[in-house]
Amino acid sequence: MNTPFDSIDATAQALEGAGYYADRRLATAVFLALRLQRPLLLEGEPGVGKTELAKSLAQALQRALLRLQCYDGLELREALYEWNYAAQVLHMRAAESQHLHADAIEREVYQERYLIRRPLLQALQAAPPGAVLLIDELDRADEPFEAFLLEYLGEYQVSIPEIGTVRAAAVPVTILTSNRTRELHDAVKRRCLYHWLDYPERERELAIVRAQVPEAGAALSAQVADFVGWLRRQPFSHAFQRAPGIAESVEWAKALVALDALALDPELVESTAGILFKQREDVAALTRDLAAQLLVPESA
Amino acid sequence: MTMQLGDARTGKLIGNIVGFGRALRRAGVPTDASRIALAVDAALAVGLQERGDLGAALETVLVSREQDRGVFRELFDAYFRNPELAQKLLAQMLPKAPGAEPARRRPRVSEALAPPRRRQEAADEELRFDAAMTASELRRLRYADFNQLSASEYRLVIRLACELALPVPQLPGRRSRPGARGARLYFPGAMRQAARTGGELLCLPRLARRRQPLPLLLLVDVSGSMERYARLLLAFLHAATHSVQGRRVRRDVFAFGTGLSDLTPAFRLHDVDAMLLAAGARIADFAGGTRLGAALAELRERHARRLVGRRTLVLLISDGLDTGEPEQLNAELAWLRRRCRRLLWLNPLLRYEGYAPLARGAAALHAQADAMLAVHNLDSLEALAGSLQRLLAPR
Repeated sequence: MNTPFDSIDATAQALEGAGYYADRRLATAVFLALRLQRPLLLEGEPGVGKTELAKSLAQALQRALLRLQCYDGLELREALYEWNYAAQVLHMRAAESQHLHADAIEREVYQERYLIRRPLLQALQAAPPGAVLLIDELDRADEPFEAFLLEYLGEYQVSIPEIGTVRAAAVPVTILTSNRTRELHDAVKRRCLYHWLDYPERERELAIVRAQVPEAGAALSAQVADFVGWLRRQPFSHAFQRAPGIAESVEWAKALVALDALALDPELVESTAGILFKQREDVAALTRDLAAQLLVPESA
Repeated sequence: MTMQLGDARTGKLIGNIVGFGRALRRAGVPTDASRIALAVDAALAVGLQERGDLGAALETVLVSREQDRGVFRELFDAYFRNPELAQKLLAQMLPKAPGAEPARRRPRVSEALAPPRRRQEAADEELRFDAAMTASELRRLRYADFNQLSASEYRLVIRLACELALPVPQLPGRRSRPGARGARLYFPGAMRQAARTGGELLCLPRLARRRQPLPLLLLVDVSGSMERYARLLLAFLHAATHSVQGRRVRRDVFAFGTGLSDLTPAFRLHDVDAMLLAAGARIADFAGGTRLGAALAELRERHARRLVGRRTLVLLISDGLDTGEPEQLNAELAWLRRRCRRLLWLNPLLRYEGYAPLARGAAALHAQADAMLAVHNLDSLEALAGSLQRLLAPR
């Protein structure tokens, strides 16, 4: 059992080195996924850093990141492999003019160089120590694809009729994410470790903003973290439809730096609301008065 | 502290985790033996120094749904601090845990087991569930309003409604299959053909788009005025829209009254009685008032992604007697309409001749919905299939 990180602390530190601030629960989940060689299923609201975790983990492990973005109608030829048919046809014509035997033609046409490898196959064929495989937004793919994935995640091997079985040289570190547009099948969940990602607490958010936007001053970063945290705590039905994620806080801090702001004020909040919210109603709801109300206790 | 298998402490740990796993299962969190074995591995991997780490490790292995996290954490705290307390806690949870209740007989089973009734009792219920029904009685039931049936007639009509078919319209989806026509070439097929003719491409098979049944979103009004219709229509839609030509239909089901309840898990049960029982347990406010606007707002905030890429067919079942804000209702309906393929309003009040949607809620529904269809007797349910095909034909 060779694990890249030998403790939870080491895992958290390595992720932090790659710019990802994981809390201890998440670090535990990642540590176990590596140690037990199980896929890790991450669920959570949009913008809490599910995809980012896979990227940072790849960086921390110094392995290649292979990403499969799922969507409605995803098929195996886009996920696993496809033959380069046009090249094959050309090759077949050329081989035929040499009057080769049928078996020979077949061998000629189905060479590995005509195989177009998609992320799932690439992950199996990555040289040791293997790759990090991110299967993003699995809930968007349909159930037949999920059924295929069940087999893939269980055995880490696939069979290609013309070539044979491809077995993983090194088991890829697999991260699956879901936005819960539908419940994933229990069988898939049983193959995986599970972690629900919440919005980060204030300290962690502040650390992320400081790390990503070092140009922003300490005071401004703290204000950003406080303000965004407050927006998220609002009960949805009363105020906002979509809470801003971590990506939004970082973007907002960048925008404020670009505007040469040193501290938040109501006008500034109102004029940059479009960065925090992507819904017309939400942008309209974040009025100057509301912002003023909010900023008062902090300056006092 | 490193632990080896065979260590006395390890033995105790395994016993504890197995016991904890069983306690979890009794509390309704699905776990199985392989999960528990994995949990032991996980516990050994993180060590036992930190209770928090152990908790996080067990959680990541044993929990696979967001909603189970609360139960897990309470039980973990109790179990690893004081197993006796955990037993008491479990005892409190038990009545809620599925499977822990004394097995309730399904209505159909009770019906089957009930002793034959005496004449006097059966006097007002001359209906029998057997072949003795005459053609004229059947005919009467076919046109009788659901709200004017006796209890046993109502039960019979539920059974009859479950026999009706409602094929969900199928439209080309995003997946493809080989076919004679289509925009893209089917190369694997072409290659196989060519191999047969010595490398000569004589015909070019195509990839056609696979037809898929539209995803359904059912919104069922369970307010007081709708109680009977809601129950019957739930049963009908459960049976009638399960699959089309062997293809499963994706169905998301919500009941609304003053709030929104997600009935989708109940709808996954195969048995109609079990489904109705489970649905009843999930509906917080059966036979209360209606605030459709607020319910739709909740749908938009929490379940907007259930609407699949503007393909979803929304069936809204309501009498339109809404007590919420008409402005909110209008705005929410407009949102819903933008996000779905068709918004169809199934309205049991259409039974009245000369019915006009004048109530505030009904007027909003009438303005926003693509069509209004009747659902008050078996005959109208039968006509639904035809209406769906017509309404979904490409404009």
